Amino acid sequence: MILPVYRLTLRALLLQRRTIMLAVVVLAPVATSLIYALARPGGSDTVDFYSGIVQKLFVPAVAALVALVFGVSAFGDEREDGTILYLVATPQPRLELVVAKVAAAWTASLVLLVPSLVLSGLLGLGSAASLRLIGWPLVGVVLASLAYCAASSWLSLKTRRPVVIGVIYILLWEGSVATYAASAAKLSISAYGSAFVAHALPQSAPPVAGLVPSALVLAAVVVLAAWGAARSLARTELP
Amino acid sequence: MSAPAIEFTGVSRWYGDTVSLADVSFTADAGVVGLLGHNGAGKSTTLKLCAGFSTPSTGTVRIYGDNPRRNPDVYRRVGIVPDHSPPWPFLTAREVVELSARLHKVPDYREAAARAIATVELEPAADRRVAGFSHGMRQRVKLAQAIAHEPDLLLLDEPLNGLDPTQREHVIALLIRLGEQGRTVVVSSHVLHEVERMAPRVLVLVNGHLVAEGSTAGIRQLISERPRRVLVTADNARALARELMSSAAVDAVRISDGAIEVETSEPSQLSRELPAAAGRTQSLLRLIRPVGDDLESVYTYLHDRARGQAR
Repeated sequence: MILPVYRLTLRALLLQRRTIMLAVVVLAPVATSLIYALARPGGSDTVDFYSGIVQKLFVPAVAALVALVFGVSAFGDEREDGTILYLVATPQPRLELVVAKVAAAWTASLVLLVPSLVLSGLLGLGSAASLRLIGWPLVGVVLASLAYCAASSWLSLKTRRPVVIGVIYILLWEGSVATYAASAAKLSISAYGSAFVAHALPQSAPPVAGLVPSALVLAAVVVLAAWGAARSLARTELP
Repeated sequence: MSAPAIEFTGVSRWYGDTVSLADVSFTADAGVVGLLGHNGAGKSTTLKLCAGFSTPSTGTVRIYGDNPRRNPDVYRRVGIVPDHSPPWPFLTAREVVELSARLHKVPDYREAAARAIATVELEPAADRRVAGFSHGMRQRVKLAQAIAHEPDLLLLDEPLNGLDPTQREHVIALLIRLGEQGRTVVVSSHVLHEVERMAPRVLVLVNGHLVAEGSTAGIRQLISERPRRVLVTADNARALARELMSSAAVDAVRISDGAIEVETSEPSQLSRELPAAAGRTQSLLRLIRPVGDDLESVYTYLHDRARGQAR
């Protein structure tokens, strides 16, 4: 019975005004790539440029922010307007409700992120564009955004300020602390997402883990966050 | 023997320093039960606890012998109409009700939704979005989604709010019918005469305390038995006050600023004796006005009475 809740949540997420703002956010890497494509200096390395866009802007900021907002909204908006009562007062297992919500948030994120990444790749790489150069970063973004969605859904049921906490985690921990301290990167979702990017694009620092360990860590984040969210949903005070 | 629909045992719920419910115990089974009390009395908290939306600070809440927060399967038998939560505005009424029936695992959810929509007389607007609905129409959508899976227990928080007189009549008749079918229907309201029309049994909450419980007629009797105060303004106030003190209908008399405040447990008898007493003392009655006859005073009286403080 996941499908009706998934559809309902996806509809709610895509209809909200915030989605337009997020669409503007995902346009940033596209616009940057477009400007680069139009004013490309002679002899510049398009792969280096694209690598920078993906690793410094797309994975750690754009994908993280979009997935955070959708992940938080999946439960947060319904908690705020009280419609969550109509879902909770049903015999649906709590984990199924969470899975439907996270899947909807993930889909909504991908609706914005995938075209943005592909377009940025095509514009930034120009004639160097290939399935490998765009495909591996895409895998990283897809997996990392799932982990962000699950974690932020859990956060939205645990705290009243999930967006603030999420932004602090993304900007302060992942964007600052984890870039200087290698051990801190082990607690960074974007670092594991970047491991897939590193498989195809040159990186300034070695990836935090290989492809399989990174996929396993991201999967573990998803499972633990979904389990925690289901537990919180059964215990949280509802409006 | 099967477990009662609702069983509250020593339930208290507090939020920080605020006590919302204090040591409340009751059971509810087939029939309509009215939950009566002023705003902030603890009615919504009681319903939230019944619905599993909140956990008691102390005590236990059981719905059909189970804890809904631990076992969501209980919700197969429960329908809920929350007070302040309109359904998803971007869905049509039919979509809301079908979704509810589907999530409650009704096999033919479309048919069940159509039946529920017809029951609340919302068919003409069924395919319109909830966003454009009036408050009364939203109330009916909430009611339809709550009854679509034909629950054994229906929890309704102020369901008559926002309904016009015709709709109120219709909803009251519906709730009576559901009660007569053997379902447990718990309806909260702060309006006594509304509750007494549909609920043979009433629970009265005041400041989180369950202060009275029983038949509607019994509660009405309790209320009518409470001492009343009547303010009387007359020309010859002192003489009239002296005369009234000799009446068996009068419990106490006070004079303040030329006005007489009469306390009585027999208001009907007083209404007969007052003109006679005025005639005997040649006092011209200028004003007769009940004091503290509002609903708040009634609740306060029941509260004090429950705590043994009522005079």
